[in-house]
Amino acid sequence: MSVSSGRKTIRILRAELDKLMTLPWIWTAVTVTFLVHLLLTAAFTSASLQEGAAAPGILNTGLASMSYLQAGFIILGILAACSEYTGGQIRTTLTVIPWRGRQLFMKHLALTLITIPAAFILTASGVLYAGWRLDGHAAGVEPHEVIQALLGATGYLTLTTLLSAAIGALLRRTLPALVILLGYYFIISPWSRGLLPAYFPDTAGRYMYLLPSSGELNVLTPVQGAGILMIWSVSLVAVAIVVYRIRDA
Amino acid sequence: MVLTINNLVKRRGTQEILSGITFEARPGRVTGFLGPNGAGKSSTLRILLGLDHATAGSALIHGKPFAELQHPLRTVGAALDGSGAHPMRTGQAHLRWIACAAGLPRSRVEEVLDIVGLTKAAGTRVKRYSLGMGRRLGIAAALLADPEILILDEPVNGLDPEGIRWIRTFLRKRAEAGNTVLLSSHLMGELAETVDDVVIIKQGRIVADGTLQEVTGSHSTLEDAFFALTSEQAGDAW
Repeated sequence: MSVSSGRKTIRILRAELDKLMTLPWIWTAVTVTFLVHLLLTAAFTSASLQEGAAAPGILNTGLASMSYLQAGFIILGILAACSEYTGGQIRTTLTVIPWRGRQLFMKHLALTLITIPAAFILTASGVLYAGWRLDGHAAGVEPHEVIQALLGATGYLTLTTLLSAAIGALLRRTLPALVILLGYYFIISPWSRGLLPAYFPDTAGRYMYLLPSSGELNVLTPVQGAGILMIWSVSLVAVAIVVYRIRDA
Repeated sequence: MVLTINNLVKRRGTQEILSGITFEARPGRVTGFLGPNGAGKSSTLRILLGLDHATAGSALIHGKPFAELQHPLRTVGAALDGSGAHPMRTGQAHLRWIACAAGLPRSRVEEVLDIVGLTKAAGTRVKRYSLGMGRRLGIAAALLADPEILILDEPVNGLDPEGIRWIRTFLRKRAEAGNTVLLSSHLMGELAETVDDVVIIKQGRIVADGTLQEVTGSHSTLEDAFFALTSEQAGDAW
């Protein structure tokens, strides 16, 4: 009995989705990220109200915790990739699905399918909360601006998750991957702001969800920011697949 | 021939861990791949299963590398050391994703859980399994697609006497039904009653290959033969 390549690919995708959905760490990461995000959004919203700003922005306030929110998605990506190397699961994976390139690609696709709704729900909940609390105090915001910011934020978090999964797949161990990525995003990048060029993944990617401001120098457009972050993520996923194919499991 | 390993060489850095391994496993027989810890048994099986790459030589299943098999799980059921499952996942969830990847019905998961005696522990996280339960889960995964070839690395490790007896009987039945069984072990005494053919490896080299009778020769047990063969080969007793 011969199985078509398309059916085989769908089975691999379903198996990778099944793996992610039945791993409690994935749900813990998403749930904790959601709760922390809501708490931070509540804190930022209260601060905006107490500061008595003339017209605090709903989008700026609702997405103010994005830099912290991304930590949860970095962890999500690393857990998804490195979970293969816990308990010897990689041996099972490769004896069931020995087509390495296709398997790792499908794992990233499955992760994308989980990340997109999670990222959208999280970012939209922050903006909705800020909109509710700031009702009557905030500056007006156009619906298309809200949609653009939410899509940009969702895209940013999804691409950051994929980048993190690729780093996790390359390093195969959770702790080193966490140290490197969280170290970069939360220590190296903030400290060297202004020194790092705008084409690093986080510095370019933030233009995906920040509304252009007349008071600031807008180095990149949202599309340029998305393009640069996508190049980073796709390149790292491609490198991870090449290395995965040639090295011993 | 079903499993053909031909002049297999594996180097890691400057160390040669497999030096020209050659043997075959035939259908309808249990082939015991025996040797002390660190002899190269697992490395050979990992190359056969496509997990590691050979430096030279080949390890083929029906004349093909493992990765070129159209239906890997239906052709080969493999259980290497441990359970091969993420410790946070339940045994049932572990088998379900494997069944999904191989296009098998979910009912098959319940069947293999029953075969290996893990039905009651199906919903328990793998981290709570004993060593023996982990081995049983690994064997359940290997049996999911009822493959014609079984490759088991140290299958009796961690099993209680009842489990060892179960696997001996089970493997004999598989072979008698015409399937190919290749199992590795460092416990010669435990498997002498199970195997038809014996391949003995020491320090990355094959030191004996033949039927159980041929390898045992004039020695009273397979274990005696093993020690005699390996000390002759290495020129020392260990």
